[in-house]
Amino acid sequence: MSEYEPKILSGGESRSDDEIMADYVGKDSPLVVMELLQRFRVKDVMRGSNIISLTREDTLRTAKERLRDNKISGLPVLDGKRLFGMVSVNQIIRALEGGWLDDPCSKHMSTSLVVLEEDMPLTFALKYFHNYTFGRFPVLNKEHEFVGIISQRDMTNVLLKELSNEVSRLEGKSNAAVRPAEASARSEGAIPYYSMRQFLVVRNDMANAGKAANEIKRMLKDVGISAKVIRRVAVAAYELEINVCIHSLGGSITVVLDSNKVTIISKDKGPGIQDVEWACQDGTSTANDWIRSMGFGAGMGLSNCKRVADVFNIKSSVPGGTTVICEFNI
Amino acid sequence: MKISDVIKTLDGKLVAGGESDATVGAIVANDLMSDVLLCDADDVLLLTSLASDQAVRTANIVGAVAVVVHNAKPLPATMCQVADTLGIPLISSPYSKYDSCVKLYLAQEAEKRG
Repeated sequence: MSEYEPKILSGGESRSDDEIMADYVGKDSPLVVMELLQRFRVKDVMRGSNIISLTREDTLRTAKERLRDNKISGLPVLDGKRLFGMVSVNQIIRALEGGWLDDPCSKHMSTSLVVLEEDMPLTFALKYFHNYTFGRFPVLNKEHEFVGIISQRDMTNVLLKELSNEVSRLEGKSNAAVRPAEASARSEGAIPYYSMRQFLVVRNDMANAGKAANEIKRMLKDVGISAKVIRRVAVAAYELEINVCIHSLGGSITVVLDSNKVTIISKDKGPGIQDVEWACQDGTSTANDWIRSMGFGAGMGLSNCKRVADVFNIKSSVPGGTTVICEFNI
Repeated sequence: MKISDVIKTLDGKLVAGGESDATVGAIVANDLMSDVLLCDADDVLLLTSLASDQAVRTANIVGAVAVVVHNAKPLPATMCQVADTLGIPLISSPYSKYDSCVKLYLAQEAEKRG
């Protein structure tokens, strides 16, 4: 490693993504915000073009002018796609104090850099902003080439925009546009190594019940999961979505996709199931005539989920609520 | 048997979901959607009396090629919209579900005999 090679430091620290996210968005924030953070990758949010930069030969005076003219607080020092360091306002203050404003950047720039990779989930960026005091991070690709820069402002702008779209979608006012994370997965034709999406399910809202399961089916098809697995996942997601809609006070259906399995998690706000074992038997149901008139309530929901899933887990407390987790190997 | 044969046999009318002439792989007649979800067959034709969005959404989950609703029941606009969105042909037939089963069975047998 040459003296100009940036030292890539680890993100460190043991706090979980959920804890970090909770700090950032608040423990009681809508789950949809959490989901947005999981959905994006660094490359979906970073600025990848029109990056103002320096060369190693530029003086710190040039750096000062670029920082001032562009109202920014840090600049990458580049040679083509290769990142050599960063110059921030701190170095400029020291140069003003020490009188070396006309020295080349290479002499005083930071070379112990913390960088992000473009394919990292956005939660990593969040963790880095939490762990370090830097206002921005350079972003590299797998070949260690500089591809962009990410700041807290970039994250906030993109998340607010996407949150606005999501709210519109939830209100049924727009057909959500293809989201960056999904679009990139589609264009690459590969299964993203981790993605998560959550759908809210409203009590007795039969007009919308089943939409989440159908969306999950479409989503899995787009990333190339086999048709047989998709069908099993979709059956479980649909049954669970209907259960949350007709038997609970409302809740959510979450799909988590990683490299070797798909997980469907259904979580509701109560009232819970008195006898879980009984509820999981074929043909047992507490459904009323209204539910039956909709084609459900035959008492096959949970047993259908058990039948199609590779792993089935259910936990319920009265009146706390019920959580069902179904896993499918892919 | 193709969807066009089903429409002809059941004196049906394509109401929504767009035209398709996919081949029917299996026929399921049921009004309980959980029972439909139990079905493992491919390219299912769903015969039902359930005139609701859920019949179409269930059909999509199992990869059905079309849905037939019986007794000339009026189909809700939302059901037609779901069929259009998911691209599943929605057919209305004047016959009862039982009659449809009989007619389709006889048509299949005739097809086998050539």
